[in-house]
Amino acid sequence: MTEFPKLTYDALTVGEEFVSDTHLVTPEDVEAYAFAVDDHHPWHSEPSPFGGPVAHPTLMANQALSLRHSKYIVHAGLHAKMEFNFLEPVRPGMRVQTRGRVIDKYERRGRQYMVTEYVTQDAQGTTLVRGQFTQMLIPEGTRHVGR
Amino acid sequence: MSVAEAVAVGQELPSLAKEMTQRRIDVFSGVKPRSIHTDEDWARQKGFRTTLAQGMMSTAYVSEMMTRLLGAGFVKGGTLSMSFIKPVYAGDRLTVHGVVRETRPEGAGTRVVVEVWCQNQHGDKTAVGTASGLTP
Repeated sequence: MTEFPKLTYDALTVGEEFVSDTHLVTPEDVEAYAFAVDDHHPWHSEPSPFGGPVAHPTLMANQALSLRHSKYIVHAGLHAKMEFNFLEPVRPGMRVQTRGRVIDKYERRGRQYMVTEYVTQDAQGTTLVRGQFTQMLIPEGTRHVGR
Repeated sequence: MSVAEAVAVGQELPSLAKEMTQRRIDVFSGVKPRSIHTDEDWARQKGFRTTLAQGMMSTAYVSEMMTRLLGAGFVKGGTLSMSFIKPVYAGDRLTVHGVVRETRPEGAGTRVVVEVWCQNQHGDKTAVGTASGLTP
């Protein structure tokens, strides 16, 4: 049974690892994403240069960004930076999973940040996307001001 | 003319315009209570004037712009790095921009490096970064 402590800067450990659930990428996922970002490129629903349809390259990015929710209750936060390396296309029908590791945490100008590197792979272990991202923590009982 | 021959340093890419409706934000982020993206009261409690779009939506817009430029060479072999420097609010209208900054040989092709940014209807930059991809 997983327990979910509240995420705090002090509780977070550099080197700790996260793993997402496995997600089956469906045509409906791609359709919903196309609506959300208003990008209806035909490769996402029709044959592409890779054979069948491919998803938007950023489709699974929220699986990475949500990794910390697999271990913690997250009060609130802001996304500060995002990096992607798109190595292989994400396709409907794939079962994909993202693993991550906290590689840094730091405080700057009174704000708290965590940096996570991540890898998104298919069921065969092929790496589809890798990169890292930086998230700001908004501690419980505080408001975000200044932007 | 190949894509590599057609791309020149200093070239501006066709911009994109995106309306940040709450409906699109809801679909992108999933509607949840106590979310700064989909719960207006909660967003206000956290110090924002209304709900915010996820920064990740801006990466999707740049990905669209780069896919239009480079096609398969962005979908496989592309890179994208962005910093989110100002909140994007529900109701904002973003424009997405790119300028080619470098082309360099890589393998059998050429890597095209583009400075990218998003700005809101007030002309304020909300996200800045770099994207790249390969041409045959």
